[in-house]
Amino acid sequence: MKIIIDKKEIIAENNKTILDIARENDIYIPSLCNHSKLSPYGACRLCIVEIKGRKGYFPSCSIFPEEGMNIKTDSPKLKRLRRNILELILLEHPNACLICGEKENCDEYKSTIRKVSEVTGCVLCPSNGTCELQEVVNALNLKSIRFPSLYRDSEIRKNDPFFDRNYNLCILCGRCVRVCHEIRGVSVLSFVYRGSKTTIGTVLDWNLHELGCQFCGACVDVCPTGALTEKSKKYEQSPDRKERTICGICSMGCELEVEIRNGRILSCYPRKDGPVNEGQACVRGRFALKEIVCHPKRIHYPLIRKKKKLEEVSWDEAIDFIAEKLKTYKGSQVACILSSQVSCEDSYVFQKFANNVLKTKNIGTIAANPDLERFSQKSDCELMSNFRIRDISKAKVIFLIDSNVSVSNPIIWIEILKAVSNGAKLVVIDSLRWPYSRQATICLQIKPGTESYLFALIAKLLLGEEQEENFPNTEYFNFYREFLSKIQMSEALEAIGIEEKEAKKTAEILNEDGLKYFIFGSGFTQYSWGISNLTSLWNLSLQTQARVIPLTFESNLKGVLQTSRPFSAMKKDFAEIYKIISDGKIKALYSNGPIPLYSKKSIEFIVVQDSFMNENLMVADAVLPASTFLETEGTFVNVEGRIQKFNKVIDPLGESRPDWWIVAQLGKRMRGKGFDYKKPSEIMAEIKRKIPEFKNVSYNQLKKGIEIFINHKETGEKREEKLTPLKLPPLLMDINEEYPFILLFEYNSDIYRGFVLNREIKGMKLIRNSRWIQINTEDAKKLELTDGESIVVESELRRFKGYVRISEVVPSGIVLASFLSNEEKDFSAAHMMFFSGLKTLPIKIKREC
Amino acid sequence: MTEKLLTKHFGTENLFRIDVYLKLNGYQSARKAVLEMMPEEILNEVKAANLRGRGGAGFPAGVKWAFIPKDVQKPKYLCVNADEGEPGTFKDRYIMNHNPHLLLEGIIIASFCVGINTAFIYIRGEYEMVAKRLEQAIAEAYANGFLGKKVFGSDFHLEVIVHRGAGAYICGEETALLESIEGKPGNPRLKPPFPASIGLFKCPTVVNNVETLSNMPFIIAFGAEKFRRLGLQNDGGTRIFSVSGKVKEPGIYELPTGISLREIIFNHAGGIQEGKRLKAVIPGGISAPILKADEIDIHMDFDLLIEAKSMLGSAAIIVIDEDTSILDVLKIITTFYSHESCGKCSPCRIGNSWIHKIVMRIKEGKGEKDDIENIIRLASNMVGKTLCPLGDAAGMAILTIMEKFMKEIESCIEN
Repeated sequence: MKIIIDKKEIIAENNKTILDIARENDIYIPSLCNHSKLSPYGACRLCIVEIKGRKGYFPSCSIFPEEGMNIKTDSPKLKRLRRNILELILLEHPNACLICGEKENCDEYKSTIRKVSEVTGCVLCPSNGTCELQEVVNALNLKSIRFPSLYRDSEIRKNDPFFDRNYNLCILCGRCVRVCHEIRGVSVLSFVYRGSKTTIGTVLDWNLHELGCQFCGACVDVCPTGALTEKSKKYEQSPDRKERTICGICSMGCELEVEIRNGRILSCYPRKDGPVNEGQACVRGRFALKEIVCHPKRIHYPLIRKKKKLEEVSWDEAIDFIAEKLKTYKGSQVACILSSQVSCEDSYVFQKFANNVLKTKNIGTIAANPDLERFSQKSDCELMSNFRIRDISKAKVIFLIDSNVSVSNPIIWIEILKAVSNGAKLVVIDSLRWPYSRQATICLQIKPGTESYLFALIAKLLLGEEQEENFPNTEYFNFYREFLSKIQMSEALEAIGIEEKEAKKTAEILNEDGLKYFIFGSGFTQYSWGISNLTSLWNLSLQTQARVIPLTFESNLKGVLQTSRPFSAMKKDFAEIYKIISDGKIKALYSNGPIPLYSKKSIEFIVVQDSFMNENLMVADAVLPASTFLETEGTFVNVEGRIQKFNKVIDPLGESRPDWWIVAQLGKRMRGKGFDYKKPSEIMAEIKRKIPEFKNVSYNQLKKGIEIFINHKETGEKREEKLTPLKLPPLLMDINEEYPFILLFEYNSDIYRGFVLNREIKGMKLIRNSRWIQINTEDAKKLELTDGESIVVESELRRFKGYVRISEVVPSGIVLASFLSNEEKDFSAAHMMFFSGLKTLPIKIKREC
Repeated sequence: MTEKLLTKHFGTENLFRIDVYLKLNGYQSARKAVLEMMPEEILNEVKAANLRGRGGAGFPAGVKWAFIPKDVQKPKYLCVNADEGEPGTFKDRYIMNHNPHLLLEGIIIASFCVGINTAFIYIRGEYEMVAKRLEQAIAEAYANGFLGKKVFGSDFHLEVIVHRGAGAYICGEETALLESIEGKPGNPRLKPPFPASIGLFKCPTVVNNVETLSNMPFIIAFGAEKFRRLGLQNDGGTRIFSVSGKVKEPGIYELPTGISLREIIFNHAGGIQEGKRLKAVIPGGISAPILKADEIDIHMDFDLLIEAKSMLGSAAIIVIDEDTSILDVLKIITTFYSHESCGKCSPCRIGNSWIHKIVMRIKEGKGEKDDIENIIRLASNMVGKTLCPLGDAAGMAILTIMEKFMKEIESCIEN
C-alpha cells in the first residue's frame, strides 16, 4: 500500500509499524522504548507523529500503515513536544553531562575516568558513547532542563554474576522486561511498584541467579542506557576494533561481534543480523567466551614429560619427541580421540593424519548420539540434517522430548517459543520437569525409559481406521498394525505413568493439521535401548507426517562426522573408545579432545592437544597448546547443517597454534604426504575436492553471507522413508531397599574442549554447577540433606562425589547428575556410566564424611 | 417524582436475598430474554433503547455488543467493570450491595445476547463486603438454576466469577482490567486491537459497567421505546448520580438522563451546606474538567457536557463551596493521579508526580513565579500523548482548574 511520510510517497507493508517504515526510508524519528525485535509498546512517547485528518498525536512505534495515510514526522510543534517529553525522561536519569555545554571537550579529554561504580554523569558511565539517550538528546538538540533532576538513589545490584543492575540510570523503557518475557520466555525481570515509584526488579528483589535466570544477556543487549552493564567491561575504555565471528562452543552457531582493544577481548555480544541467532545468544557466548580465551588454565607452551615432570619446550623439540615415539607403534596399537569442537579443517587434517600416517582405525569422537548414526544407516534415513532452525517457528505442533533445550540449545528454544506464541501446541515429554515446561500445552512426566511405550501407544490411538496406502512404504505396515494391536492400553499407561486422558489429548493434538516437529535431546537416545526409542518415534513420525529433529551439542559435530567420509574409520563414540582402551590393546593415545584419566594403566604414551590445562592432563606424556577458535579461522557446521566461517579475532595466545598446523607439522615430521598447508583455505580446497557435500563451500562466499547447507532438503518434500520394525525394550530395572534411587545422566553441554565452563567459571558455577547432583525436595527432606552439601552416589560397582542441589526438576525417587568425559575420577558420573554400560542406574546416596 | 428503576426497591428489607427479589418479580426479564427472545432481538432492543455506557466513556452499549465477532471458535467473555475507582463515584457499590440480583440478571441477559458462557465481575479490592454479598447472591442464583449448566432450564450455560482487584485505579480502564484478571500487573494495553476482538485471554470480550448491565432487565421489561423516553435528552433511561461534597444531602440520586446540574444540586441534594455560596462543581468524577458556579445551568448529557468542555463521566458530582481553597482541590487531584499513574508512559508518570510536587510546594507557601507555567506545560504534555485516557483525564482536569482559577492560584503563590 502507499503512504506518505513527510511528503515522500512510500510503498509500505502492512505488518510493519510507521516507525520501522520511516527508519527503512532514512527518516529519523527519535525513540527509546521501541526495539525492532520486540512487539510494539509505546511507553516513551518520543516517536509521536501527526496523521493528516486525525486529531492528536500518535506513537509511530505502535501505529500500522493504512492506505493513503499522510504522516508528518517533523514540525516545530512536534519538536517542542518531543523536547518536553525528553526533558521529563531525563529528570529520572543523571543528566548533567547530557546537556553540558562542554561535552565535546570532555569526550576528547576524559575518555575513561570510571573508577567508581556510582554513575552520576555520562563520563562515569560504561555506556558512554553507545547510549541511546545521548543519541536522542543530540538529535533533539536539548540544551537545558527546567526542573531539578531526581536521583532514585536505588542500591546498585551487584550480587549477580556477569552484569550489574543500576536502576538509577533506568528510563523504564521496559525492553529488558519484554525481551526476557517475549523472546526468552523466562520472565525473571518485571516491573515492580506503580506510578512514579515504578522500577524494574525481581520477585522480592532476589538476585537473578536465585530465580532461575540463565544469564543469556538479552536484557543487557537491549538496554538503551547504562542501567544494565557487563561487569567485566565496566571500567574498560572503548574498543579500537570490532570483529565478527561464529561462536564455537555449541551447535547453534551464533554470530558474535567481538570488541577488542590492544589485542585483548573486551566483550562478545550477539549480532542482530546473525542468520541463526538474530541478536540472541546465551551465557556461553555472551559472557563466558571472554573468560575462556584468557583463562589462567590456558596452555601457552608445548610440554613434554622429562624425568616424570611436564616441562616447557620449543615446538621443534616437542614435535620431534612425539614423532619419534609414535613411529614405534603399529596402527592397531594407537587410538585417536577427536574433539567435535574443532573446525572442519582441523578435523580433516587430524583424520588424514590418523588414517594415512598413524594408520589406525580406532578414531572416535564424543558424538553424543551414536545410536542416531546407527539408526540413520539402518533405516536409510537422513536424520542428522533434515531441518532448518527458522522453520521451527512455523510449526503447529511441537513434541519436545528429553531435552533441557532452553539451556543446551537456546536458539532452538527461542524458535519453539515463537511457534508457541503463534499458537502452536507444545507437548513436553520428559521424566524431568524443566522450568521451560510451563510454556507447554501438555506436559507428560513419564517414567524414565518409557518413551518407546508412549509413542507406540499414541500410534495405536491414532491408527484407528488408517489405511495402508496412506503410508509411504508398506513393507512393514501389517507387521506394524499387528504389533500396535497387541499393546494393552491400561498396562501401557501404567508403565508410562500417565493418565488415559493425557494420552488421548496428546494423540488429539498430533492429529491436527499443519507442520509438526519431534525434537529430542541426547537423553532420548542415551538409554541402552536408544534404538527402540528412535524406532518408535520414527514410525510415529511417518504415521503423522511429522519431522524429526535430533539436537546435538558440540559446535562442529556435524562437520567432524562429514569430514570423516573419505576415511573409513570414524563413527565410534566415546564409550566405544573407552571400551577399546579398557581392553588393553591400545598402547598410544593421541587426543585433541578429552582423555579418560583411568585409561593410563595399559597405555604407554599419551599425547594431548588442547587449549586448557586440567587434572587429567597430568598423565599425558606430551601436551600441545592448541589455539581457540577465536585465534584462527575455519568453518563450523551447525546443528541444521549450515556451514559457517569463523574468523581470526585475536592472535594466538603464547606459543599456542591452530590444531591443523600442529597436526600438519607432526604429519610432515613423520614423512606423511600432503601436509604442506599454509592456511586453512588450502585445506578447505582439498575437502571440497574429496567430499561432495562441501563442493559449494568458498570462504569468500561465506564471508558475503551466502547460506550454504550440507544435505539441503526442503521441509515440504515428500517422505519416502520406511517403517522400521519395532521391539519394545524391557522396563526399567527395579530399585531395591539398598539402592532406592534411580540415577539419570544428563549430558553436560557447557564444555569447550578440555575446559568445563560450569566448573571453572564462577558465575556459571552459580547457575549450573557441573558437580551438582539434583535431588527432589521431598527426598532431600527425608535424607536430611541441604543445598550444597557434599554427597557420594554409590551404585553396586562404582561411586562418585558431588554437591546436593535440591530442585523441582527431578521427581521423587530420581537423582540427576551431569556427565563429562573428562571429569576428575572422584567426581566422574561418566565413569560410572561407561563402566556399567547402563544409562539409568539404581543407586544410594550417602553423606560424605 | 420521577420514575425510579434501579434504586426503586432499595428501601425493601433484605432485597439482596433471592426470595425477596423474586417476590418483586425478579429474574422475570432474564427469564423472558433467555426463553422467549432471540439474541438478535435483544440486541436490537438494547440498541434502540439508546443506553449509553455508565462507566464514563458513554459508549452505546448495544453497539459495543455488536462488535463481538459472531463466527469465532474461541470462547467469549463478559467482564463486569465493578472497579469503581473514580473519586466521587459510589453508585455501583449501592447497586451491588442493595440489589446484587439486578446485576446478575443484567449479566444473564447480556451473556445470552452475545453468546457468552463465562462472566467475570472485576470488583474493586476495597469492596470486600460487597464482594461477599455478590458471591452469596451468585450462590443463590446457581441454587435456583438461574446460573450454571442450564439457565432457566434452557441449553444456555453461564458461569459467573467474582474477581477482586488489588486497589489500583488504573484497573478500571478496560484493558488494564483484562490484564489484571489474567494475573498480570494492571497496565493498559495498546488499542487497537480492542477487547471486542482480542480481549481477555486473547478472546473476544465485552467490558460493561455495573450500572449499564443493571439497566438491561428494565429494557427487556419495558421495551426499548419506553426506556428511551425516560431520558430527558437524547439518551435513554435514568442515571444514578453520586453527589458528594459540600451539599446538605449527599448520596445517590436516580434521575432521568439529561436533567440539569443545578436541579440536582439545589432541588434534590438540598443545596449548599450552611447556606454558603457555590464555588465550583466537578460534574463527572475528578477526571471531568471543573465547572464554575455560573456554568451549572447545563443538562447532564454526554454530548452537551462535552460541548461545555467537561464530561459526564461516571456522573459523580463533587460540589465545592466558597470556603474551599482551589489549591486543596488541586492537591487532592494531583495526589491521586501521581499515585495512580501506572508508570508506563513517561509524560504521565513523570508529569503527574512533578505537578504534584509543585502543587505541594505552593501549598507550603514556597511557590515560585514560573510554577503556573510549568504546571500548564507538564499538564498539556500529557493530554493526547499517552497510551490510555488516564493521562488525558489528569491533564484536562488540571488544565481546566489552572485556566478557570488562575487568579486564585496566582494569589496563593504571591502570598
